Amino acid sequence: MNTECVAMLLAGGQGSRLGSLTFNNAKPAVLFGGKYRIIDFPLSNCMNSDIDVVGVLTQYRPYILNNYIGDGSAWALDQVQGGVHILPPYMGQKGGRWYSGTADAIYQNLDFIHRFDPEYVLILSGDHIYKMDYSKMLAFHKQKEADLTIAVMDVPWEDAHRFGIVNTDEDHCIKEFQEKPERPKSNKASMGIYIFTWKELKKALLDDAGNRESEHDFGHNVIPMLHESGKRIFAYPYSGYWRDVGTVQSYYDANMDLLDCDCDFDLSDRNFRIFSNNTSRHPQFIGPQAKISNSLICDGCIIFGKVENSILSHDVVIHKKTSLKNVIVHTGAIIEDGAILENCIVGARARIKGDARYISDPTEPAPEIHVINN
Amino acid sequence: MKNVAGLILNVDGEDDSLKDFLSHRSLSTLPFGGRYRLIDFTLSNMVNSGLSHIGVIGSHKYSSLVDHLGTGKEWSLSRKTQDLSILSGSNNYHIGRLIKVNLRNLQNNRGFLDATGAKHVLIATPNLVTTFDFRNAYDIHLKNDSDITLIFKKDDPLYHLKDNDLYLEFAKNRVSGLHFKREHTTGHFFTEMFFIKKSILMELLDLSERTGDWDLLDMIKYNIDTLRVFGAQHTGYIKRVNCLENYMKTSMDLLEYEIMQELFLGKNSIHTKIKDNHPTLYEDPAQVSNSIVGSGCIIEGNITHSIIFRDTKMNVGSHIQNSIIMQRCDIGRNVNLNYVVMDKDTKISDHTTLVGKPHAPIVLKKGTVI
Repeated sequence: MNTECVAMLLAGGQGSRLGSLTFNNAKPAVLFGGKYRIIDFPLSNCMNSDIDVVGVLTQYRPYILNNYIGDGSAWALDQVQGGVHILPPYMGQKGGRWYSGTADAIYQNLDFIHRFDPEYVLILSGDHIYKMDYSKMLAFHKQKEADLTIAVMDVPWEDAHRFGIVNTDEDHCIKEFQEKPERPKSNKASMGIYIFTWKELKKALLDDAGNRESEHDFGHNVIPMLHESGKRIFAYPYSGYWRDVGTVQSYYDANMDLLDCDCDFDLSDRNFRIFSNNTSRHPQFIGPQAKISNSLICDGCIIFGKVENSILSHDVVIHKKTSLKNVIVHTGAIIEDGAILENCIVGARARIKGDARYISDPTEPAPEIHVINN
Repeated sequence: MKNVAGLILNVDGEDDSLKDFLSHRSLSTLPFGGRYRLIDFTLSNMVNSGLSHIGVIGSHKYSSLVDHLGTGKEWSLSRKTQDLSILSGSNNYHIGRLIKVNLRNLQNNRGFLDATGAKHVLIATPNLVTTFDFRNAYDIHLKNDSDITLIFKKDDPLYHLKDNDLYLEFAKNRVSGLHFKREHTTGHFFTEMFFIKKSILMELLDLSERTGDWDLLDMIKYNIDTLRVFGAQHTGYIKRVNCLENYMKTSMDLLEYEIMQELFLGKNSIHTKIKDNHPTLYEDPAQVSNSIVGSGCIIEGNITHSIIFRDTKMNVGSHIQNSIIMQRCDIGRNVNLNYVVMDKDTKISDHTTLVGKPHAPIVLKKGTVI
């Protein structure tokens, strides 16, 4: 088998900063924008980039994620030779162990990549919301004859200290790395998307695995090691919508971006669609007293109350005399008669009693987001 | 239900009122309820009742049926243990009235009936809006050792039955007569769903080759004394979509929460072809009440008492009431629609007003631009 580029999607993280949203669910399988799950974005990007071999590395609470990925047909990844492969940690002759870092996870699956014997390996993570045609990045990687290409984007200077920052020359060749620098020398931040030339990746991972000091992390260990050894590392400049949704606040904000008509992230764009694994549900039923404005609502919802500036996933039931404002409601939650919610995230299948009151102080510029689960 | 094969018929409307919707599709794939096609109900009821071999008779307007059903994956019918066959269908003829169970179609598909190992066949029309578990009726069919078990419903003026609809007459539990409404009505009408022993069906098919009969129900009617025919009662909601008026009324029934609950929120769901749409976006000025809305819509206007299918766009200042807007329609600014039924891909330009009547809605054909 020969495939030009294999994608490896790191989906094993717990996402502990998302609190109870990831108590029984891996971060990439957390719902986003109503019907989507975070992993839909990298998988749909693969589909839109003609990448049809994807290994998904899972570890933490994988049941919902595995079930959701299924045979990959939702993203046209049900190809006969190739397609999507779920790669959990496994036992070998010498025993087995959990993935201990991003680089270790790929290292433990070198055999998988070897089966396809690609020229290039694309490394992705399952916690970002963005649309990107990876084939353009691959063309850039080939044109630069790079060993490693890192996708970067300009971030506001005041935020640069929170990212891995790269300094490049005019040819986009990376001269210096700064991990969360106090005094950033540039505002080009790594997006956690890497294309390696396969033989360089293999060599680097074998070296890294033999290094007892290493934490086996791409950002901290493998990439600095390659940089020190003088490999050709380039920065692929990306501009467009990209959000890390690793915290409750950033997850909430990125969801709310979908309701902002000035935001350039468009889910209805037919030329670059985001696909998801859909199941059949009845259409939305909007009752006689319902009031809905500036909201995103999925199939299977039944609404009798007031919904404003909110996002409702599948099968949500909103009873009478309720009021929801700036709320994200996950699949199957029920909001009972009389409940008033503002600035909340309601977890899947939660039942909110009628006396629930989550009301924010309107003078507060950035109200706290309540995550309600039961 | 392992011993039962399902057979879904191809039928036409009772009159010409639906013809604008049926120029390129059969009645079985008429869009209904925001995201469904009519056939989804009968097909899902069969699947949910445990049938695993189902044949669907097509018409000469095949493409929408094939496109909709595909391999039957959405109904779990593309597994090694379950299958969906799309069978050939001829034109439906009028013999002074519409043929209900067209014997030509059954004769042409003997191969399907021969191939199935099932001992019984469940035959139903594709234009019934109901959720029904066939298992009870099947138990009655077996218990009585029936040749044929007709599923019936208590009559009610709400049903808008047509002259061509059939009523059952009972004598000592057995069905002793079948009558057209125009001839004689009883308290029970036939739902156009029935179980028949395969051996009896094959005998009747052989016989029909000699007698030249057109309608299987005629043969049952004429031979009612020699066949063991029983009835099984349907107690829930059931409507037959066979004309524009019934299509409108049945569609608007869905806006009654109790009916919506019975059809869609029970333990058995109605399956349909899945599309990858974004969730529906209600923009700031939107006002929507008492309506059913599909996914993938972008709504900026006012909607009351209407059914909006998937992927419809509706601009600011527009009002839709008492209307049915099928898939991928585009409604401009300041448009007023009342009692309008729009087929797929229809476009209404700014400042247009269309007002139909409850019994005579304005119908716009697929792809109309106004």
